[in-house]
Amino acid sequence: MTTIRIFGYSDPLCVKTGETVDFKLSVEGASKVDASLSRLLHGDENPVGPGFVEEAVKSSIPATLEVKRQFTQIGSFAVARDPDRMLDGLEDFTIFAHVCPTLIKAERQHVMGQWCVDENKGYALGIDPDGHFSFWVGDGKVVDQIVAETPVLPRCWVFVAAGYRKSTGQAWLRVIDCVNSWNSRFSTVVPFQMNCWLKEKLRVAPVRTHEHVRFMLAGASETNAARGPHTTLLYNGKIDRAGVCSRQLKPAEVESLARGERPATEGLIAYWDPTEGYTDAGIGDVIVDTGPNGLHLDGVNRPVRCMTGFNWRGSDSFRLAPHEYGGVHYHDDALTDSKWETTCSFKVPLDLRSGVYALKLTSGSTSDHVVFIVRPNKPRAKIAFLLPTFTYLAYANEHLAYEAPIAQAITAHTPVIVPEDLEYKKLEEFGLSTYDHHTDGAGCCYSSWRRPIISLRPRYRMPAMNFPWALPADLSLIWWLEHAGYDYDIITDHDLHAEGKAALEPYKVVMNGTHPEYYSEEMMDGTEQYLAAGGRVMYIGGNGYYWVTGLREGEPHCIEVRKLDAGSRAWQAEPGEGYLACTGERSGLWRSRGRAPQKIVGLGFTTEGMDESQAFERMPDSFHKRVSWIFKGIGEREPIGDFGLAAGGAAGVELDRYELGLGTPPHTMLLASSWGHSDNYPLVSEEVTYAFPGRGGTQDAQVRGDMIYFTTPNNGAVFAAGSIAWSQALPCNGGENNVAVVMRNVLDAFTKEGKLPGSQFVGDEKLWR
Amino acid sequence: MTMEAKTALHEIGNRHREILLYPDGNEPRSRMRVPLSRRHWLKWRLRHNPKTLVVEKRLADKKPLWWVLALGSLAVAAPFLSNSSLSIAAIFCMYAAINVLWTLIIGTAGIFSLATMAVVGLAGYAAAAANVYLGVPWPFMLLIGGVAGLVTGAFLALPSTRLDGLYYALLTLGMAEICRVFIQQLKPLAPSNGSINAVGSFIPSEWYLQREGLLLGFAAAFALLLGALLLFRLINSERLGLVLQTARDEEAFAEAIGIDYRRARSQVFMISSAGLGVIGSFYAMYYSSISPAVFSLDQLLLLFAMIVIGGIGRADGAVLGTAIVILIDKGMLDLGPARILLIAVIMMVVTLFAHNGLVGIREQFRNFRNRKKSEARARRTEKGGEVMPEEAIEIADKQEVYFRRFNKRLREELKLLITPDLLEEHRQKPLGRHSDGLSRVLNYFRRGEMADKYAIMRQPDGFNRYKIVALSGERGAPPRLVDDRIYETIEEAYHAVFLLRVNDLLES
Repeated sequence: MTTIRIFGYSDPLCVKTGETVDFKLSVEGASKVDASLSRLLHGDENPVGPGFVEEAVKSSIPATLEVKRQFTQIGSFAVARDPDRMLDGLEDFTIFAHVCPTLIKAERQHVMGQWCVDENKGYALGIDPDGHFSFWVGDGKVVDQIVAETPVLPRCWVFVAAGYRKSTGQAWLRVIDCVNSWNSRFSTVVPFQMNCWLKEKLRVAPVRTHEHVRFMLAGASETNAARGPHTTLLYNGKIDRAGVCSRQLKPAEVESLARGERPATEGLIAYWDPTEGYTDAGIGDVIVDTGPNGLHLDGVNRPVRCMTGFNWRGSDSFRLAPHEYGGVHYHDDALTDSKWETTCSFKVPLDLRSGVYALKLTSGSTSDHVVFIVRPNKPRAKIAFLLPTFTYLAYANEHLAYEAPIAQAITAHTPVIVPEDLEYKKLEEFGLSTYDHHTDGAGCCYSSWRRPIISLRPRYRMPAMNFPWALPADLSLIWWLEHAGYDYDIITDHDLHAEGKAALEPYKVVMNGTHPEYYSEEMMDGTEQYLAAGGRVMYIGGNGYYWVTGLREGEPHCIEVRKLDAGSRAWQAEPGEGYLACTGERSGLWRSRGRAPQKIVGLGFTTEGMDESQAFERMPDSFHKRVSWIFKGIGEREPIGDFGLAAGGAAGVELDRYELGLGTPPHTMLLASSWGHSDNYPLVSEEVTYAFPGRGGTQDAQVRGDMIYFTTPNNGAVFAAGSIAWSQALPCNGGENNVAVVMRNVLDAFTKEGKLPGSQFVGDEKLWR
Repeated sequence: MTMEAKTALHEIGNRHREILLYPDGNEPRSRMRVPLSRRHWLKWRLRHNPKTLVVEKRLADKKPLWWVLALGSLAVAAPFLSNSSLSIAAIFCMYAAINVLWTLIIGTAGIFSLATMAVVGLAGYAAAAANVYLGVPWPFMLLIGGVAGLVTGAFLALPSTRLDGLYYALLTLGMAEICRVFIQQLKPLAPSNGSINAVGSFIPSEWYLQREGLLLGFAAAFALLLGALLLFRLINSERLGLVLQTARDEEAFAEAIGIDYRRARSQVFMISSAGLGVIGSFYAMYYSSISPAVFSLDQLLLLFAMIVIGGIGRADGAVLGTAIVILIDKGMLDLGPARILLIAVIMMVVTLFAHNGLVGIREQFRNFRNRKKSEARARRTEKGGEVMPEEAIEIADKQEVYFRRFNKRLREELKLLITPDLLEEHRQKPLGRHSDGLSRVLNYFRRGEMADKYAIMRQPDGFNRYKIVALSGERGAPPRLVDDRIYETIEEAYHAVFLLRVNDLLES
C-alpha cells in the first residue's frame, strides 16, 4: 500500500463572510480525497478536557476533490527581467559581484549567471563544493571552468569578477578581499589572503539557453519531467552590487569596482545596486538595475533586504547610511510562498457563523485539517475574540524540539513527538518559523501562511512541551465560550493590523488569545486607542505585545520580525540588521522602543517555563469593592486554576508581571498572583542587567504571573491574567471551574453598557481595621 | 586520581617537509592545460595554513615530478651507457611497456589474463610474416601488429565476462601454450625451428649490433614506453577508467544505475591488446627475428614477478618492478642461476610484507601509522574525556576542548549525586520543582547536544502508548527507535528517558 500524504493551505488564512478562500492542496498516493467543511471547537485531545470537538457544516464544497502532487520551490533567489534576452548568449563579457558567502555546501552554489543545469548551457559564477569560486561555461555537452585557488571564507566579504572572450577562449577570474574592520566575521588582524587572479584558456564556449532559462542571482534553472522548470544550485550568503558588462574590463576597472565605484557605461549591460530604492518605509523584493537597460531583478521567496553590505562601517540601519546596505541575504531553505495551484475555492456564505473552520480532507487512514478563520462581514456580537494570527505565523512549522540544543533546557521537558510530525519534517519543504535558523545559521525573519503549516492543525501539540500552542491552545477558549453560551465574533491580528482601532471599536469587549506575542505598530496603536476611547480588553494570555512585527503593504500572508538585543530570542540579528525591510522600523522588543506592554495592558513578560503550571492566589486588592465582583463565587483563599491542559495549572508556560517602572498604570489593582514556580522558570533576559545566581522561581519574587485590573477613560477597563495557560484551564471539569467563574464575572460586567461594577468605590477609605 | 592525570602529555609540532610556494594573489597567473584536454599539467593546490592562515601552494600530486625525474635521467644517461647496458635499458623499456599495458588489463579492467605474451607473440609473428613473406615495409608492421593484437584481444575478451578469475587465468595460460605449440608445428610459417628471421627493422641493417643501432633501438623502446604510459593514463584516468573504478566496489549497484561495466572491461582489454600487438611487432623488429621463446612460461612468469614486485594496477608499479627484475636478471649475469633465486626471494618478501607491491608501501605505511595512532589514542584518551595535545590540533573550535574538560569534571560531580533517593524523587515527579541535586542532574541532561538526544514518541490514537526514540540532530533525518518498549503513561516515559540518561552518565 502506498503511503498517502495530504498537505494543504488556505489563502487567505482569514476571510470575512461573503469573501472567497482558496484551498491549495497537494496529495501523494491518491488522486481523489474526501472533503468536508467543519467548524473547530476544541483541538487538544488531552483526556482531562473535552477532547477533539468539531462540528460538520454543510457547504458548497464538493464531497470529493480531484487532487495531485504539487511541488514547492524553496530557497530565495532573484530573477532578471530580461525579455530581450540581453544577458543570454554573451560572447565577450565580464560579470562581477560583491559576495559574502555564508556556507560551503556539498553541492555547487550558483551566485550569478545564465545557467541551465539539465542542459549544461550558458555561463555562471558560483562556489564549488570545496569552497572555491568558479566561473563555468557550457555548450550543451561539456562544461569547462576556471576555479579560484584560494577557498572562500564564510561570512567574509570579497569582490569576485570573471571574464570570457569567445574568439580566444580566454577566461579570467579575480577575487579581491573586501574585509574591513566592520563588515565581516573577522577583522583585518587575521592574516588571511583571499586575493586570487587567474587566467586560463577554456575549451568550451557558452551557448544560448532555452527560453525558460533566466539570468538569476543565487540559483540556476533546472528542468525535470515531474516538476518542470525550477531553481536549484541555491546559494547561501549575501550578494551586494553585481553587474554584467559586454567587454573585458581592464584590471584598473576591476579594482575600482571592488572599491564600490560605479562601472563605466561603455558596454554595460546591467548593474544591480541593492541600495537603490530604500525609503524610510523599507524596501521591496526588486533589486534595481541602474544600468541603461533596466533589467531589474525580482526576488523570489523574499531574499532578506536591509542587510549590511560590503562597505558597511557600523551604522545602525539603512536609514542612516543606505549606500552601505547593499547586502541581500539569500537562503537555500527560505520559503514565503509555495505558489500552489488552487484545488478548490469556497465563497463563505454570509450567514456562516464566525469561527475557526477547517477543510477536512480524508483519504484512507490519512487526513488533514486545512484551517481558515472566518470573521463576520459586519460585527454581530458584543464580544470579539482576537486570534493572534501573527503568533500563529511566527511559530509556523517550528523545529525547536529537533534542532535547538537548548530547547529541552528551556522547556524542562523531554520532547514528545507523534508519527505525523515526522512525515512533515521528512519533507523539509514547508519552510521555517521565526524560531528557526537557516542552513547557514542565520535566523529566519519571515513566515508566511502560503504553505502547509502543521502547527495550525487543531490537534497539534508543540513537541518541545507536549501541549498545544497558539491556535490549538486558543481553541480551548472558543470551546468554553460556546459552552458558556456567549455570543462572540472572531477577529484576527491581521484585521487589527489592517484596520487599527476600527476593528475593535464595534465590540464592548475584546479578548486576547493565549499568546499575542507578535504585534505591529498599527496593532499597538489600535489597542491603545480602543482602550483610551472606553474599550474593554481581557488580556488573558502570556508574553503579549512583545516583538516589533511588520507586514508589507498588500502582502498580509508574510510577517517579518528581527530578533535582537534583548528578550527571549531564538536568534540574534547581526549588528546593523535589526530593521524591518517591510516597514523600515526598528524591530526587536516593543519594550526597547518605548512601548512596553505594561503601558497598554498593565502586564509584561517576566518568566517562562514548561514543566509545571501553578494556580493563582488572591491578593489583598481583590477584596476591594472596586474589583471584588470579579471574585464572586470564589473563596477567600481558594486557589484559582490548580488544573489545566497546559502543564496542570492556570498560571504557567509564559507569565507576565505588573511593573510600575515599565508603565503599569498606577491605579492598577493587583488581584492575584501565582506562587511556587520551579527554577525552570527563570527571570527573562531583558530583566537581567547584571547576572547573579538565584533568578529562578524558587528565589526571585519577580518570577510569577499576575492578575490585574485597571480602568481606562470613558468606562473602559483592562482585566489581565498574564499566563498562557489561563485559557487552557477553562475546559477542565466540563467547563465549570473557578477560572470559568472569574471569566463569567468579568465578561458579564464588561459586556454591559455604561459604568463598570465597583466604579463607585473610589473614595478614600476610613478604616477601623 | 583520574586516568588523565597519569597520562604524560607530549609536545607536538612539525616543520614543513615539502617545498611550498607563497603566491601573490594580486598578480595575474596563467594556468596551462594539457593540449586537447581540460586537465592541467600539474595539480597545484592552495590552502590557508590552519596555524598561520597564510596561503600556501603545494603540489598535491607529485607523481608527475617523479616520472619526469626517473625517465628523464634514464634518457639523459643512455648515451653514456656501455653497449650491454644500453641493450638492457632498451629491453627494460620494452618489458616495462608490456607490463604497463598488462597492468591495465589486470588492474583497471580487473581481468586476470595470463595471455599477455601470447598476444605479443602472435602479433609479432603476424607482423614478421607480413614483412618477410609479403614484403610489407617495416613501418606497416606496427599497424599489422596492432590489428593482430586487437583481433586476438577481441577473441580473448569473449570468455572474460563468463569465467571467473582463476578459471580465466588457467584458460589464458593454456592459450599461450597452444600458441607456442601451434607456431612450432606450423612449418610453412616458420620453417627454421619455429622462428622467423631476417625481419625488417627500423634499425638499418648496417647498424645492427653497432653503437648507433643500439642507441636507436633504445630511443625507439623509450618512445614505446612513453606511448604505453600515455595509453595507460588515457584509459585509466579518463572515462573508461572512472567507469570501472565505480563498478569495482559494487558491481550490482553500478549495473543498476546504468553503468555497463562489462562492456567497459572488454573495451579496455581490446585496446590494451592492440597496444600489446604493437609492442609485439616492435619486439620482432628490435631483434630482427622472432622465436617461440616469446610464448614460454618462464618468460611470462618473469613478467608476472615484475608486476607483483612493483604493484598491480599502477603504472609506476609496473615500471619499478620491471626495472628491478631486469636489473637483476640481465644486469647481474655474473650471479648465474642465483639471480633467479634472488628475484624469487624479493618476490616472496614483497608478497609477504607489502599489500600491493613496492609502490603500495607508502600507503601501507600511512595506514600502519594511522593504526598505531588509533591504538595510542585508545590507550591515552577516554571517550568524552580530556583532550590530549595530539587530539587538540584536530579540533578547529578550541572551545570544544574546554567543553570536554568541563563536562568531564561536571559528570564526575554529578555521578556522586545519583542515589536511589534521587531516582525515586524523579519517578514520583518527573516534571516540576525538584531537589537541588536532581535539578543539577536534569539540567546537564537537557543541555546535551541534539544528535542522539532522547525524545518520546507518542503512538497514534490516545495517550497511553509511548516509545523512546533518539533524535538525529540533522534536518530531515528521522529519529531512531531506542527500543520497542511501550510505556503506558507519559510520566513513565519521562522516567524511562531519565534512567537511560543516568545510565549513560554512569557509564561515561
